[in-house]
Amino acid sequence: MTKRTFLGAAVSACCLMLIAAGPASAADLLDEIMQAKKIRISTDVAIPPSGMMDASMKPTGSDVEVAQLLAKDWGFELEFIQTTGATRIPNVLTGKADIIISTLSVTPERAKVIDFTKRYATLQSDVGCLKSLNVKDWPDLKDKTIGVSRGTTQDTTLSNMKDKELKIARYDDDATEVTAAVSGQVDCVGTSATIINQIGVKNPARIFESKIPLATFDLAIGLKKGEQRLMDKLNAWITENVKNGKLNAIYKKFHGVDLPPDMRS
Amino acid sequence: MGGHLNINHLIFLGQGALWTIGLSVIALIGGGIVGFVIALARISPLKSVRIASAVYVQLIQGTPLLVILFLGYFGLAAIGLQVSPLAAAGASLTLYVAAYLGEIWRGCIQSVPKPQWEAAEGLALSRTQRMMKVILPQAIRIATPPTVGFMVQIVKNTSLASVVGFVELMRSGQIVNNSLFEPFAIYAIIAVTYFAMCYPLSLFSQRLERRMGRGRSNLAPA
Repeated sequence: MTKRTFLGAAVSACCLMLIAAGPASAADLLDEIMQAKKIRISTDVAIPPSGMMDASMKPTGSDVEVAQLLAKDWGFELEFIQTTGATRIPNVLTGKADIIISTLSVTPERAKVIDFTKRYATLQSDVGCLKSLNVKDWPDLKDKTIGVSRGTTQDTTLSNMKDKELKIARYDDDATEVTAAVSGQVDCVGTSATIINQIGVKNPARIFESKIPLATFDLAIGLKKGEQRLMDKLNAWITENVKNGKLNAIYKKFHGVDLPPDMRS
Repeated sequence: MGGHLNINHLIFLGQGALWTIGLSVIALIGGGIVGFVIALARISPLKSVRIASAVYVQLIQGTPLLVILFLGYFGLAAIGLQVSPLAAAGASLTLYVAAYLGEIWRGCIQSVPKPQWEAAEGLALSRTQRMMKVILPQAIRIATPPTVGFMVQIVKNTSLASVVGFVELMRSGQIVNNSLFEPFAIYAIIAVTYFAMCYPLSLFSQRLERRMGRGRSNLAPA
């Protein structure tokens, strides 16, 4: 059992315990946040370009700026709760953080334990390969190894394509996956377009480009189940900031592309 | 994304290293105290105390540290008890270290040659006097190498505390690496830093052994 699947199991076990315990606090989360004048947001700062550190080691990235915009609009102090991918959900379930803004894809499994707001962004992932490789469709990938980050939605999606006979190499995170591509361990990767372009920046001799679109996931803010008032307020905020273009501007700044047209209209 | 390693990154890694040291110190002091009690409880004349401490040791030794950390942080919160990452990591590591050190030290105490115990008893020393004046001074000598070996392991195991949101050396390296994409440089720095923490411990142990080893031959079985 890998560390990550093990963590997944531990998270699920914890969630089951919580469900069994039932709703412990009757107090409304929104009131608590208003009273504290501080919103605690769970964001992983090790998943570029959504969460990362800038040259002066301050958090930056699209999710970080979304969180900062939210806190500013609502007039609250912002506290980032350090988290890894696997502990994002336990953090809100156990009251360590109020909400999650951390490339959280909306999946039915997750919706069983937490509530999602409407989407504030999307995550487009592709299979990207060396520019010189002639890859047009899935059969062309048959003898190639595809590098992915372990446990991500890209990993799950590719792993489920059993009929396509893909060879998958799982790495710990995006940085390791990029290193594998830069150093020639793999010629194809399954990740976001931003990361695919990053490979050529690190090694101009090995320029990668997106070849086959993999999947598009909706990214939403996650919160504890049953916090309807906070949910309504978050949804209203998202609608407003999609309309005034601020969320799109943040997305474009870090991901280089606009949000999909159906989301902006 | 991208960019080059600068002084801010190194400061961030340095802070992570300090947390690794801090966490190790908490684990070793807390674990040492509790572990000493466990070691004595394991050789207690009372059967119930022996059984209780043995169950504790087996329970903790049979559980991954990662699970103990996870339960300490999220498990306690799930039943309404909020603990900080530092408290959860400190307490979990203390429990973990205590189980191992308790067992290591029990073995060391029991490996003091039987005639030494009998001689102490023959001199009409009380149980406490026998322990403090005869058995423990000899047991400490035997215990030094395995204790230090285990300490070195704990320094490195503190990296698991990142699971409770603790930014120690390994996690700070991961964060920096995911901003810079320079794994060779960053993980080399981390490896050297861990080595710089662990090697002095080993050196210290060697010196301790040499110093306390003096006159050891005179203390062979009575």
